[in-house]
Amino acid sequence: MKATFPHFGYDTYALKTFVEDLGAEVVLGPPASKRTVELGVEHSPELICMPFKITLGNLIEAMEQGADTLLMAAGARKCRFGYYHYLQEQALARLGMRYKLVPVAQYSPYAFVFQLIPSVFHVSPVRVVRAIAIMLEKSLLTQEFRVLLNRKRAVDFREAERLKKPALEMVEQARSVKAIRRARRGLDRMFSCNGSAAPGHNGRKPGLAVGLVGEIYMMIEQFANQEIEKELGRLGVEVLFERSLHHHLLHLLRLDRSYFRSQRLARRYLRECPGGEAMRTVGESIHFVERKKVDGLVHIFPFTCMPENIALEALQQLSEDSGVPVLSLSFDEHTSRTGLLTRLEAFVDLLKRKKRVQGSSRN
Amino acid sequence: MRVGIPRALLYYRYGKFWERYLTELGAEVVVTRKTDKVLLQKGLEYVSSEVCLPVKILAGHIADLKGRVEAVFLPRVVWLEDHLYACPKMIGIVDIARMMLGKDVKLIAPVIKGGFVLPYLAAGLSITPNPFPVVRAFSRASRELNTRTAVPEYEPGEKRVALIGHFYNLGDDYIGRSITSTFTSNGYRVCLKDELPEAVLRSRKGFARNIRWVYERELYNAFRYLADKVDGVCVVVSMGCGPDSLVAEFMREEACRRNIPFLQLVLDEHTGVAGLVTRIEAFVELAERRKAVPQAS
Repeated sequence: MKATFPHFGYDTYALKTFVEDLGAEVVLGPPASKRTVELGVEHSPELICMPFKITLGNLIEAMEQGADTLLMAAGARKCRFGYYHYLQEQALARLGMRYKLVPVAQYSPYAFVFQLIPSVFHVSPVRVVRAIAIMLEKSLLTQEFRVLLNRKRAVDFREAERLKKPALEMVEQARSVKAIRRARRGLDRMFSCNGSAAPGHNGRKPGLAVGLVGEIYMMIEQFANQEIEKELGRLGVEVLFERSLHHHLLHLLRLDRSYFRSQRLARRYLRECPGGEAMRTVGESIHFVERKKVDGLVHIFPFTCMPENIALEALQQLSEDSGVPVLSLSFDEHTSRTGLLTRLEAFVDLLKRKKRVQGSSRN
Repeated sequence: MRVGIPRALLYYRYGKFWERYLTELGAEVVVTRKTDKVLLQKGLEYVSSEVCLPVKILAGHIADLKGRVEAVFLPRVVWLEDHLYACPKMIGIVDIARMMLGKDVKLIAPVIKGGFVLPYLAAGLSITPNPFPVVRAFSRASRELNTRTAVPEYEPGEKRVALIGHFYNLGDDYIGRSITSTFTSNGYRVCLKDELPEAVLRSRKGFARNIRWVYERELYNAFRYLADKVDGVCVVVSMGCGPDSLVAEFMREEACRRNIPFLQLVLDEHTGVAGLVTRIEAFVELAERRKAVPQAS
């Protein structure tokens, strides 16, 4: 069995380890590129949202490399995401390739451990639980990697980009719980006390902090959001985020405290969950603004995303109430990089100016 | 108490019931005027440009009520029986309405999850504290609820087209009038999903059971029911409508397979009537030509 799944940012490594732990061979397509998007767009309905197009392109490219079992996440019902696999199946059937598409329903841990995964991979539930434990550990590693990388970028962009490759290799190689823990310590050393590059070295601290909130795929898949974290880092901004595979997995196991907190906080603006991740987006934003004292919020979502458009209105209100600027960016395959960079630069300029004015008025 | 009802979205389904209910409760009911360009423009100021046309229109109607009424009645359908959800925007628009209206205007928003009797009664109590008139008003008003059980009759030899679209799009004259009238003036009888009984619309048979949005399931079932009774299918979708972008695709796929003429019209606030009419006329001609040469495919 040659299993594949769509790329998922740095968390691809965590998912890959999971599938390999289940005894399957993983054939990943190339990382998403312009061709991926073109392939995806060609076989997608015109009005569908962007994650559909990229994931479909990923699957097609992986099939070209010989994958035969496609794992596609499924689940939530109020959001379009829960229906992706029906349409992807239709599209792939039209292409006439030989494949098996497995919709991985996420929202019932019991069915996942005892029925779905054992029936696909022919393994015992015990092994599934073990694989999940390792995936949890590894997704924590990738999350930490992102945090460290973002912090480093804000201080010393060049050094951070230089360290990225060896660090990612370290992340990829770690396969057992022990190795993952060792890698985590290694990353800590690499990004912080390794010689001179501690956060705040040269007396420079990251000047600005921005909270990144939005739809999970856009947050994690760096190709989809056009490496927004990197671009903000280049401008000297530390990007804080909370949405990650690790938190999502904990949420599926009903163990994620940040999720409950977000739900509680978001009630201030949204009394009823509109589906998708709107509540989390709003809750996280309030958390970032009030507890983490960020200078601004960047809200990213796919074009015409339904829940996030509701969240957008709530964020506008939050911005009005708290005085923290919000930049809402919707992405689709036509989003131009130059336009994005201009908007980010203008936003960061605004934040800098605001901070300066506030600083001088306080003195 | 002056209570306002925006004439948009769910009004086109439950509006008569709401009006009657509030009137029976002794409230002075203000329904906004029919949608026009001014209302739409007003709505555009309040919501993001990416939401769908009916939500923009609803925002306009709510903005229009601001300052004219003491309370706004805007029920929130989260899910109906069998955990069939409304779309995220329909659920969320109530919160947007609350932010739009501010603190001065009371928002009466019964939350409907499954049964609708209790939420409506609770909402009634917030208008008059006495439960007896509330129950009486509710039972009187519920006669206005649509309980169609009979299937409309389709005469042989008649030219028919199935117009598949949401009631809040086709029911709103500002959006749907030109589409319906173009078909009628070309001699077609327009078959709408709202003429069909609920038993057909909410049926769980076939692929429909995978669709968990209540109004989308109705669309899909109506399509399945009407597909072999009509000469062509026209699907009306508003730009930015998430559920429709999927379900229309399922319908297109099936129409292709069954060789039924299929037209998808995507509407937003920039859609011109002339463009719609041209497309519909072209579609009608195509459907007729195909009928004249039945095995031409």
